[in-house]
Amino acid sequence: MGEIKALAQEDLRLETSVPPRLLRLLSLVTVLGFGGTLFLGLRAAGTDIQQGEIQRIFYIHMPSFFGAFTAFGLTVVGGALYLARGSEKWDRIALAGVEVGLAFSLINLLTGSIWARPIWNTWWTWDPRLTSAAIMCLTYAAYLMLRAGIDDRMRRRAFMSVYGILAFVTVLITLFIIRVVPETIHPVIVGASPQNAQGGFEATSGVVTALIPSLLLWLTLLPITLMWHRVRLEERLDALDRLKMRVLSE
Amino acid sequence: MRMTKASARTGLLLLALTAGLLSAQDGERGSTPYFQSRAFNVPILEGWDDQSGEDFAQFHQAEARATIRTAIAPAAEALDAAGAELSATFGFDLDPPVYQGRVNLADGTWHTLVYDIDAETTASVMARQDGGRGVVISFVERDAAARTLMLTIAQADDSLADASPEIAIALESLAGLSLSELQRADSQTLPSGEWTVYAGESVMAMGMIFGNDAYVALQMGEAGDLAALAEAYNRTLLGFFITPDNSQYLALGLAVVFVILAALVGSLYWREKNVQKDLALLRELAREDE
Repeated sequence: MGEIKALAQEDLRLETSVPPRLLRLLSLVTVLGFGGTLFLGLRAAGTDIQQGEIQRIFYIHMPSFFGAFTAFGLTVVGGALYLARGSEKWDRIALAGVEVGLAFSLINLLTGSIWARPIWNTWWTWDPRLTSAAIMCLTYAAYLMLRAGIDDRMRRRAFMSVYGILAFVTVLITLFIIRVVPETIHPVIVGASPQNAQGGFEATSGVVTALIPSLLLWLTLLPITLMWHRVRLEERLDALDRLKMRVLSE
Repeated sequence: MRMTKASARTGLLLLALTAGLLSAQDGERGSTPYFQSRAFNVPILEGWDDQSGEDFAQFHQAEARATIRTAIAPAAEALDAAGAELSATFGFDLDPPVYQGRVNLADGTWHTLVYDIDAETTASVMARQDGGRGVVISFVERDAAARTLMLTIAQADDSLADASPEIAIALESLAGLSLSELQRADSQTLPSGEWTVYAGESVMAMGMIFGNDAYVALQMGEAGDLAALAEAYNRTLLGFFITPDNSQYLALGLAVVFVILAALVGSLYWREKNVQKDLALLRELAREDE
């Protein structure tokens, strides 16, 4: 049992549940920033005179996709560095990226569907952009299910690293399909919309001013803060597992 | 903690500055300046005195003594809304309209009403039902030197590109004149379209075809400002549209965002609690073993 004590003392992650000072500060700034961008999108920005109030969901819908892009991008980085260096911290980052990115993707998908109901008069249509976004969500949901199904740690980390890298193809397809496939009704805000696009609106100075802080928040602060919390939790879960293994082996 | 307060202050300052920049979005639809209320939108009339309030648009031109007003009136019928709007806002004691008709435009069925209020005042009104309320666009003219009337008529002969048949109907209904008593003048091209023009002694008539309807303006008198008034009124009429009330979908969207983020943060918290519980259990086991 002395060994357990030594391990517990050695592993400060298990001893303290309070997040580090920088993470607490980052969390506070993220919460304030989230409130601030909500204020900009919901109160300060003018109502779109053609779409009405529902247009305001755009200030979350589009940034949440880019937040997912950051998170899934870090999954690629984490997976690649795990394969190259073998350190489990990179695998934790990859896992955190998938969990956070999947949450953001669901926000993107569901807010888009809710916007579509009053604007397109349907909750869902098998448009190329919508279909690719749904496939993206399912691909990353499968990541989590597969990961839970592999017992061997080394095999699990290696396999999921490769999966996380390959899955990013679905993110790129979702991002660029609208520029490649003309048969889409999904509007484009930056640049020319496809010919069949429905529900677009002009990126006036008001739209851009409300969008940019939200985009910056979802692109950087939100995914990084949430992923840091998730990485920290995974470190503690790993440490706890090691501790359990020692207890069981004695 | 001092650093946190400073960050919060900086954040709030940035938000305040950003909010100031946002006013540019209000009332814009492309490059056209729009009056915007929660219920409807109409183009802002350049060169007219803007007397609009929070929930009504009103533009006045002192020289022509004309007012164009768009408002929502709580009434079960469009005709009641029109009457209520003219009585309550302008204080008119209304006799039955001198012209009454209906026309189907892209956004619904509008009632066209023309009132002779008194010797110098006329009111031309378009009104339509929108749920339990009426939308009323009124043109009121108080010029003793002229009697100016606006009306929209379903196109009598849709094979014709000009509004001569509808001008004839309007002249006969409202001025007791035949079209043959007026001379056809050169057409006028205004921002709203190509207008057919007829002129007679102290009478001018203009009409424009848009869709399947004719927009007609008549002026009896020597004011000579019919084209400008017709353009302003029809710019309002054709530019008017209702902002859809879909705020319940926005509320649903925000609820979804909060639920997903709360589920993510909640799962992190819940799993952290489980780590602490397991750790406490292991320590308990360690103590028992010792």
